[in-house]
Amino acid sequence: MSATDVNQALLRDLKANGADFFVSVPCKLLGGFISTLEQDNEITYRAVNREEEGLGICTGAWLAGRKPVIVMQNTGVGTLITSLCSLGLYYRLPFLMVISHRGSPGEPIGAQVPMGTAVETLLQTINIPTYMFSDPSDTKKVGQLVPFTDVAEGPVAAILDYDFWGAR
Amino acid sequence: MRRYELLKSITPLLTDEEFVICNLGFPSQELYSLRDSDNHFYMLGSMGLSSSIGLGLSMEIDNTVIAIDGDGSVLMNLGTLSTIALEDCKNFILFIVDNGSYGSTGDQPTHTAKGTSLAAIAKAAGIDSSVEVAGADAADKLAQCMKTPGPHVIVAKVEPGSQAMNPIPLTSLAIRDRFREAVKAAQAKT
Repeated sequence: MSATDVNQALLRDLKANGADFFVSVPCKLLGGFISTLEQDNEITYRAVNREEEGLGICTGAWLAGRKPVIVMQNTGVGTLITSLCSLGLYYRLPFLMVISHRGSPGEPIGAQVPMGTAVETLLQTINIPTYMFSDPSDTKKVGQLVPFTDVAEGPVAAILDYDFWGAR
Repeated sequence: MRRYELLKSITPLLTDEEFVICNLGFPSQELYSLRDSDNHFYMLGSMGLSSSIGLGLSMEIDNTVIAIDGDGSVLMNLGTLSTIALEDCKNFILFIVDNGSYGSTGDQPTHTAKGTSLAAIAKAAGIDSSVEVAGADAADKLAQCMKTPGPHVIVAKVEPGSQAMNPIPLTSLAIRDRFREAVKAAQAKT
């Protein structure tokens, strides 16, 4: 599957499962996916400055009946932990985080590795259901996490590595 | 005038046509004691995100959305002022209670007590209707903003200090669900 195909397949499967409101903070692994989001007229997509801001905007949208997805790099999890706890978990807000995994094998920048190594444990420590994906043919499984947020009654994380994005 | 008296001056303006996001424990308790409504979302944690929640809501509904925020909280999430400007939601009002202090933690001074102007920052972020007013004039300004297209930022200058209150006797899920139902009912009307 080409990189373009995985971006289109991922958005198709997220939409097919009800996602209709997206925010993102950029990542080089997400560049193609963000372009795909920008070009889709059936969804609401906004770029935001920071992950917490995105969580706030998604909360407002969910309160108005939308099904939000936060698209972000794993480094953003570090700044998001408090708000994930005191907003996402306290009010049990069912939204999906689609997280690119910098600092995993394929990573050329050493500074990315410490957070890349910590991210899964950080999310598990605050009891966010967290799933790792490496296979680009798994877009359907990632999409199925959208309704799973309602089953889990709270935030859910999908961490997608270099292999998923066809980036190494 | 402290935040409590300021909130007391604006609650007569609220009807069940507006939706209010309220920042943190003390302000939410004060608002709850003055006027409670299904249309109030009491955001009891996640300091800094009242503005962003209000923005996300105002993108999706036609009713006026008022995010009640604090100076310390806005200073934690200044970036969202630029997003509010870009989004340009006509129905959004960010009402900042600027008492120059972190009220929940013992009234330590914030940088607005030492010269930072949130109205000037909001204006520079691209929100043309950004104004600082004395607390006593804030209700008149809010009434005016509720009748004119936004987005608006009102920075209401007041003295530090909180009114002693009991915690809000609602669970987080009760706050969430009654608010969401109220939004759904408002959407069904339009």
